Amino acid sequence: MKQFLLKFWGHCVRLTARWPSIGSIAPFIPVIAAWWIVTELQTFPRVFLPGPAEVVRSFGSLVYMGILPAYLQDSIVRLAVGAFWGIALGIPLGILVGLSQRARTALWPLLLFFQAIGDIAWLPILVIWFGYGLTTITVVIVYTVIFPVVLNTVLGVRSIPITLHRAAQSLGASRIRMLWEVVLPGALPNIVTGLRNGLGYGWRALIATEIIVGTSGIGFLMFDARRSGSVVEILLGMIILGILWYIVDSWILAPIERATGQRWGLVTR
Amino acid sequence: MKNLTIRNLSKTYFDPYAGTNVTAVHDVSLNVGQGEFVCIVGPSGCGKTTILNMIAGFIPHTGGEILVGGRPVKGPGPDRGVVFQSFALFPWRTVLENVAFGPKMRGVRKAEREKIAHEYLALAKLTEAAGRYPAELSGGMQQRVGVVRALANEPDVLLMDEPFASVDAQTRMTLQEELTRIWQEKRPTVIFITHDVAEAVFLANRVIALSKGRVLEEIDVDLPRPRSWDSLNDDARFKELSGRVRQLVRSA
Ligand SMILES: Nc1ncnc2c1ncn2[C@@H]1O[C@H](COP(=O)(O)OP(=O)(O)OP(=O)(O)O)[C@@H](O)[C@H]1O
Ligand SMILES: [Mg+2]
Repeated sequence: MKQFLLKFWGHCVRLTARWPSIGSIAPFIPVIAAWWIVTELQTFPRVFLPGPAEVVRSFGSLVYMGILPAYLQDSIVRLAVGAFWGIALGIPLGILVGLSQRARTALWPLLLFFQAIGDIAWLPILVIWFGYGLTTITVVIVYTVIFPVVLNTVLGVRSIPITLHRAAQSLGASRIRMLWEVVLPGALPNIVTGLRNGLGYGWRALIATEIIVGTSGIGFLMFDARRSGSVVEILLGMIILGILWYIVDSWILAPIERATGQRWGLVTR
Repeated sequence: MKNLTIRNLSKTYFDPYAGTNVTAVHDVSLNVGQGEFVCIVGPSGCGKTTILNMIAGFIPHTGGEILVGGRPVKGPGPDRGVVFQSFALFPWRTVLENVAFGPKMRGVRKAEREKIAHEYLALAKLTEAAGRYPAELSGGMQQRVGVVRALANEPDVLLMDEPFASVDAQTRMTLQEELTRIWQEKRPTVIFITHDVAEAVFLANRVIALSKGRVLEEIDVDLPRPRSWDSLNDDARFKELSGRVRQLVRSA
């Protein structure tokens, strides 16, 4: 299984291979430069706005102490676990609701209702139920990831032209095989969009949750830094959030998109 | 390949907006022998697609019966291959995989079904395109893939709903000639729907003129085969037959 996944991913990346290059770093150069100039001009006191060099130094020491790698790993693992369950539950649910009129009638109002109670709105009651810990964090992330995945999967399933269903049936596909041969690939571009949204929201929800109930992770790092008044570490945390998302997007999501919807001509560039 | 029998077929749609019933097909009876090429012509809205969709099993009929090889039709199945006007190729499958789809559903092993697919692709001069995705093909090529995908599954009956309506006139003529050539080679039973009279006469053994959901007349086409536009364009018999069908359709 692991080997298969690695092979598949390698395939996606190879098909499209354009790893982030100098070109994708370039836009940040003026931003960093401006930041540096502002801090050098001492417009704001250093304690409120440290410069890039100090952030880099703090990065170095936190890595050296082992805090940053550990926290980073905690956050990433939490996101991965949450994303896994969000996907594992969200895609089948989306397919069911997308295919069956009855399931749609029964579940759609519920989906809309619970979607409205956004992720962190669940925190107070989750903390009472599960306490401050991993369970609470995981539930929040799954909850956040699942809705965009479900809603986009439904959209994707429903946008498959009826002629494709008919073509497959006339070629002898059974109902079960239709799922794999038509429904899943047909909905895939939308599923990836849902995943992108879901992971984006999930990432934010994770940080928010870590700030409120965490005992480790990037969100906790930032909140802890606030307590000790270390603006450098807060900035570092913010920068790490951005970089990490950039990596997830351009090394995982974008290659999948390029190898599927774009290759098949289902999505225009 | 088996024959197709349609007896007193009717279809009444319910229009939920107007709250009324619309009868699109009235009491149509038709016998198509094994290996025959039948064209159904008629003006827009006369019920051609409705008839084809009922034969394919995509929509239920409300009266009469449809028998393929003596067995009543209950829903879509691989005994009736369909070529769609909108091609309906699987965008996530290469041309080769599209054509091999039917055999794959039948459980044919990979090497074997790819051999079958290659053979049919060669028949439609598509060998070069085997590894490409449908989105990378021209409309005419996509439709050829649609035709051979249906053929490669070796259905008893091949159903085609205005398959060449959306390609340009030159390509259409080439496709028509190719279709007659492939038909002569494989001799499937074909029901071909069109509103183009010349196309119907060019392709068919028999033309069925349809009007307002009823069969007006059946006309046998006794033109020699192989047929090509070069020889038929000025053929007196072709002109005569086309003229007759055209009159029928226009009077409809
Ligand atoms: N789903 C439907 N509900 C209600 N009425 C329908 C439906 N489908 C078709 N009809 C009606 O049935 C009649 C026949 O339609 P059909 O699509 O079979 O015509 P057609 O001969 O294929 O026309 P065209 O050449 O334009 O494709 C039309 O009057 C149409 O309005
Ligand atoms: Mg039609």
